[in-house]
Amino acid sequence: MKSKIVSLSLVASMLLATAGCTTKETTVGSTTTAPDKIDTSATETEQPSLGYEFGLGKTFHADQPTTYSMFFSDANWYSMQPTWKTEGIFKKIEDITNVHLDLISFDSNDYMKNVTLNISAGESAYIIPKIYDESAFVDGGAIVPISDWVEYMPNYCEFYNTYDMAPDIRTITRSNGKYYRLPGMLEQCLLNYTFVIRQDIFKAAGVDVESMEATWTWEDLLEALKKVKAYMVSQGMCKETDYIWSDLWCGSESGQSSGGNLLKVMGITYDVNAGWAIADGIRYDQAKDEWYFSPTSDNYKEFLAMAARFVNEGILDPGTFNQDDDTATNQFYNGKTVIMSVNQSQYANYVKKCEEVLGAGNFELYATIPPRSKLYNYSTAGDVRLENGVMISQKALDELGKDGFIEMLRFVDWLFYSPEAYTLYKWGVEGETFKYAEDGSKVLLDGYCCSGLGINGKDGDIDIRKQWGYAGGNFWYGHTLAEMTDNYIPEVKHFVDSNFNNREKPAIAPGIAPNDDQNEQMTLIATPLIDEVNAWTLWFVTGQKDVEKDWDEYVKVCQEKRCQELVDLYNSIYKGAAKSS
Amino acid sequence: MKLKENTGYKVFLVVNTIIMILISVATLFPFVYLVAQSLSSEKEIIAGNVTLIPKGINLKTYIYVITEGEFIKYYKNTILYTVVGTTLSLAFSSMLAYPLSKKELKATKILTPFVIFTMYFGGGMIPNYILVVKLGLNNTMAAFILPMMISTYYVLLMKSFFASTPKDLEEAGELDGLNKFGVFMRIVLPLSKPIIATMTLFYAVMYWNNWFQAFLYLRKDKWPVAYYLQNIIRGAGANDADAQQVATNIRSCSMVLTALPIICVYPFIQKYYVQGMMLGGVKE
Repeated sequence: MKSKIVSLSLVASMLLATAGCTTKETTVGSTTTAPDKIDTSATETEQPSLGYEFGLGKTFHADQPTTYSMFFSDANWYSMQPTWKTEGIFKKIEDITNVHLDLISFDSNDYMKNVTLNISAGESAYIIPKIYDESAFVDGGAIVPISDWVEYMPNYCEFYNTYDMAPDIRTITRSNGKYYRLPGMLEQCLLNYTFVIRQDIFKAAGVDVESMEATWTWEDLLEALKKVKAYMVSQGMCKETDYIWSDLWCGSESGQSSGGNLLKVMGITYDVNAGWAIADGIRYDQAKDEWYFSPTSDNYKEFLAMAARFVNEGILDPGTFNQDDDTATNQFYNGKTVIMSVNQSQYANYVKKCEEVLGAGNFELYATIPPRSKLYNYSTAGDVRLENGVMISQKALDELGKDGFIEMLRFVDWLFYSPEAYTLYKWGVEGETFKYAEDGSKVLLDGYCCSGLGINGKDGDIDIRKQWGYAGGNFWYGHTLAEMTDNYIPEVKHFVDSNFNNREKPAIAPGIAPNDDQNEQMTLIATPLIDEVNAWTLWFVTGQKDVEKDWDEYVKVCQEKRCQELVDLYNSIYKGAAKSS
Repeated sequence: MKLKENTGYKVFLVVNTIIMILISVATLFPFVYLVAQSLSSEKEIIAGNVTLIPKGINLKTYIYVITEGEFIKYYKNTILYTVVGTTLSLAFSSMLAYPLSKKELKATKILTPFVIFTMYFGGGMIPNYILVVKLGLNNTMAAFILPMMISTYYVLLMKSFFASTPKDLEEAGELDGLNKFGVFMRIVLPLSKPIIATMTLFYAVMYWNNWFQAFLYLRKDKWPVAYYLQNIIRGAGANDADAQQVATNIRSCSMVLTALPIICVYPFIQKYYVQGMMLGGVKE
């Protein structure tokens, strides 16, 4: 009798599970998605009895002292100091809004692991910033589908509507038509990672990069570097066997075994996923209106052949792909190499280090824009105008109730999306740390500097980031072009503008919204597949495999690792959604 | 009788010596390199001039790390955790191991499998985390020490050692009026110095090097130096736009200072390491 009951229970469970699966599948593709514009008319009427002030162009202020818990990613290169809470960023936020942030901070290296652990253990903070990928948290129910609530957030909606963010937001929308992360939103994608060269040596070798960069290709860069190397050899600055390019963000430390930044940048110009941007390798073909596996495409082959030429022709150090970052930077600082990757915030640091080692006046740096490929003139600044963002925990909704939750959302809206808060956490307080110059630009007051803004000061100047937490990485991503670029030094502004003027923004791929099972299946296929792709890519680039001879074998390996199955899955999800809409 | 040293044996000795020297060099090289970097100026390190001999020798980095950086704060935490943790671990492990070593106690047969069970099966990270949080231990020294205070493997080593203590001595103590605890404290423990020394070393090294409990439970001001060191070695996360690396000489100096106490202690007690593994393992 007992065994019969157990059997019946199992059968019942299976039937229920099957019914559940069926329901799931039928709902795929029949869901809504992010609207073109968010209608806030129903929620923006001010009610005098709310107990707080909020609104577009207004400062959020709670009538009663309020506390919200928030996770905080504490970067070890400018770790949080007690002064941040007693007189810096968090004190100012509290003074302005009457909201105290109860910070639960984790070291930035382990931030996501700690966040995951706390959410899994039911110990989440209310506000969870600095989230790049919310996928792992969506299914557990611990995170609020924030798209249900954004109409209560006037600053968010204003930006969304003004800059037509709907296509970008749709890239993070899930199969149920909702999204779970309030992303940092950019008016435009700006070039961040590019290359810096030793302009003095290039000029001496007769290579004028400034006049070339608007249209230069990777082939042009290779020829230029060969000319520079020939000059350096003739001057006794290096030997014929030396490499003059040893890049960082590609090796053992930060390259993630994928070729890191260099292959990412180069890959974008060939319209393929590579390096840091490899993801699952799948890319969208606008002409055919379907998805394909880019690492086995003809473009990828061409990209590999070009990358390999830099190594084969004695320019790029193959050690680039397994060295630590210090090795790369040190070779550039001491003049052994003449080109290296750079980003906006590191440029000023490079200048400082070169001055220390080579001596001021003994070198000239120039940040150029990445070359294009012969195929495309794509900008490598990215296509989707989203940055890391904020998740809100279900615990906040449960504990605060609907009205309290909406109040918190309006505080979050002010904190992450209002121009007032943006200026506060990026520059500090007017008159205390910065002032407006006659031309309207912001400048730090005398005696202050900020490494985070790329503004070096004199010895003894106070770094407003280290001292008070301004310009920290938890807050100041996104916003308008004017706001994002208000701290740019001329060199950075030059390459950002040059990229904007000379390169084209690639079209945004449509978002696909897999359900939980499909997501899991995609991960199962993609993980071993991409490991294989990355390994082969580095073998091709470093010359251990020959692109012409070994390409077919590589494609066969990818097929054995089920790349076509992944493509089919993408297309079936995409076509299903397309049909139903 | 002295073995006759034939040619083959001499060749073996030479080859063996060469191999041992190479292994020693390979082992020592990273540490010497670290010491050289920690004593050199950053400029010389960047210029690639430092290998085994320090260049631009100065103690500025050490002075900076000890007086101005956060290193010393974490160093003090580690010393505190190691001293308190090792003391508690020794006390509780020996008090658990002693009764388990008594075959005549009926409960031993029931308790021993329970103890051994914990060697193979744990509650899992998240249940443990919830337990520590619900006990209100999060971000306290107890969260660092309690979860790993008793190592089953070390308890079993101690149990085997205690089992080899002569019963006659314990009985003599009881005849002289000592109770069980008195026998344990005044007869068994004084006779167990080798295993106590070994366990002290094992536990101390475990606490000194541990970072995982800190990762789980401790906020920054309570970190041990091992976790701090791990973070500065890993440096800034990849893909982080405003990442900056900690200067190489500061990293090297921190590593040298962290490894130094254990390195200094090892030559004096390293024999216990070998003995320790054998002590509890010998059956009568």
